[in-house]
Amino acid sequence: MIHLTLSNISKEYGSTTVVQDFNLEVEKGEFVSFLGPSGCGKTTTLRMVAGFEIPTTGTITMDGLDITKNAPNQRNVGMIFQAYALFPNMTVAQNIGFGLQIRRESKSVIKQRVEEMLALIRLEQHADKYPFQLSGGQQQRVALARALANQPQVLLLDEPLSALDAKIRVQLRAEIRAIQRKTGITAIFVTHDQEEALSISDRVVVMYEGKMEQVGTPFEIYNFPQTAFVANFVGTLNTAAAEVTDPSKGLISIDGIQIESAEDLKDKQNGDKVNIAIRPERFSFASDGKKANVMDCRIENITFLGSVVRIRVSIGDTKFNMDTFNNPFLELPKIGDTSQVTCSREAVLVLKN
Amino acid sequence: MKRSGVVWSWFWMILGILYFFLPLVATFLFSLRAKLGILSFLAYQQLFTDDDFIKGFSFSVLWGVLTIIVGILIFVPTAYWVRLRLPQFRTAVEFITLLPFVVPAIVFVFGLVRTFSHPPFLIVDSPALLVAGYTVLSMPYMYRAIDTGLRAIDVRTLTEAAQSLGADWATILFRIILPNIRVAILSGAFLSFAIVMGEYILAQYLAKPAFAPFLAFLIQQKAYEPAAATVVSFALTWACMGIINLFGRGRGQAPIAGGH
Ligand SMILES: Nc1ncnc2c1ncn2[C@@H]1O[C@H](COP(=O)(O)OP(=O)(O)OP(=O)(O)O)[C@@H](O)[C@H]1O
Ligand SMILES: [Mg+2]
Repeated sequence: MIHLTLSNISKEYGSTTVVQDFNLEVEKGEFVSFLGPSGCGKTTTLRMVAGFEIPTTGTITMDGLDITKNAPNQRNVGMIFQAYALFPNMTVAQNIGFGLQIRRESKSVIKQRVEEMLALIRLEQHADKYPFQLSGGQQQRVALARALANQPQVLLLDEPLSALDAKIRVQLRAEIRAIQRKTGITAIFVTHDQEEALSISDRVVVMYEGKMEQVGTPFEIYNFPQTAFVANFVGTLNTAAAEVTDPSKGLISIDGIQIESAEDLKDKQNGDKVNIAIRPERFSFASDGKKANVMDCRIENITFLGSVVRIRVSIGDTKFNMDTFNNPFLELPKIGDTSQVTCSREAVLVLKN
Repeated sequence: MKRSGVVWSWFWMILGILYFFLPLVATFLFSLRAKLGILSFLAYQQLFTDDDFIKGFSFSVLWGVLTIIVGILIFVPTAYWVRLRLPQFRTAVEFITLLPFVVPAIVFVFGLVRTFSHPPFLIVDSPALLVAGYTVLSMPYMYRAIDTGLRAIDVRTLTEAAQSLGADWATILFRIILPNIRVAILSGAFLSFAIVMGEYILAQYLAKPAFAPFLAFLIQQKAYEPAAATVVSFALTWACMGIINLFGRGRGQAPIAGGH
């Protein structure tokens, strides 16, 4: 069931267009991330859903009702900020109960709901503390509880984990996702961290310069990036300029080295310039018997990254990264060695632009 | 080298303290000499039983409190709104709040008298005009104190958090903003109060029975009571300072939003 719709949303400040042609339908209970570099309009889009900004054009509907111009306090939307934004003058329990108090719920209802929320975020013992007595991670959990206490229709999170340590960040994002699943609330999560977006979301919206570049599941976004921007922004990627040599067979040449792609190149002509992309983990050293896409290479560098070893190879004039899983019995080549690498036809992505 | 530095800082500090306290001690000692030959609190006794003193003092206290209330009601929403929505006007507003330092009080009061002594604004006799004048005079202190308080909290994010929880403007102002700048408001309030208690020109030219004109009158009439009154007003000011500090310390590690 479609819960939230953004159609033809654009936002201009004076003469600069910050968001344009934004179209998105979010299912009830879905977890959608907006992913993109700084300044691409993620926050602005989220703030339009929250009601803090009014779109220049387009409409936002929730449960079929047009809420484009409703004030923020008329929307029942929960918002989580990077800076936590707990009320410093209130205890944890008072913070969580604030929204219910505004709605004039009875004392007993508030008390019960606050206790429920405290249990949900596992901070029962901290009910009477003030925000400044809590760690950043705890504060953000309180902010989550405060937003959820009101039973909002949509939960909006603007880089809620950015101010936290790496370890807490990973822990808390799993917790946010678990709580979101448990409550079944529709959520939009803004981040510029691709790993965060891929790990937490049902769907990811990749944004660039105010436009949606690609919308899809983390699997689709990672494995089938549609544009050079998405390909580069999400994960590490090798890109190279290439030329189509035989569209019907999917043959492409990189500096004269022939490779084969599984992609449909029917709309291309012989000699068309294209950009191709290959994920580092799709390369492997060629073992005997492989036929497709075997390329001579020279080992340029070897970097140890823990679970992964990244080997930089040059194929012709182009340099590629190749990742292999680490294991104690791994036989690594030496820098300067020549070898052969291979990748499957499916690994060779032809980017749309 | 380092030692002599310490010695010098002590020297300057003691010099400063002497400069400040000697006249005060002298005034205090003088105020105790109303009875020939012995030290007594006679001057204070006479002061506190003087009807005009009681009247002037209580009027000034009343106007001081009114000024504080009016000041809070005007300046908190203004400073809040400027910070939230009109940051481009911050400098302009700050300049306006400093005008009482630029325009001499005597000019200000003649302006008030000229403007408000003809119809349609014939309110020159109303205490409201006095309170309005005091509010203007206390503006630099009050506004700045409030603005400093607002700077310490993340006004915009707290406002938005409250809005998304369904709060309206009144709720945001009274339940979120005011409590979090309580200390700043108090210090502004006590400064305003001290100003009203010591203000002479406005009360004198608007012919109001305030504390400062009474004191000036007293100086011309008596010897020891003015000294006593000076000590009293100092004590009052210090009490104000003490209270600011007290409140400032209390729960005042005023945690700011987004801290840690
Ligand atoms: N009130 C405003 N007036 C003018 N320009 C604005 C305003 N708010 C945002 N912008 C501009 O809009 C663009 C997008 O801003 P936005 O905050 O949405 O980016 P973002 O994707 O959230 O970036 P970040 O990851 O840095 O938070 C930026 O270039 C910013 O300068
Ligand atoms: Mg942002």
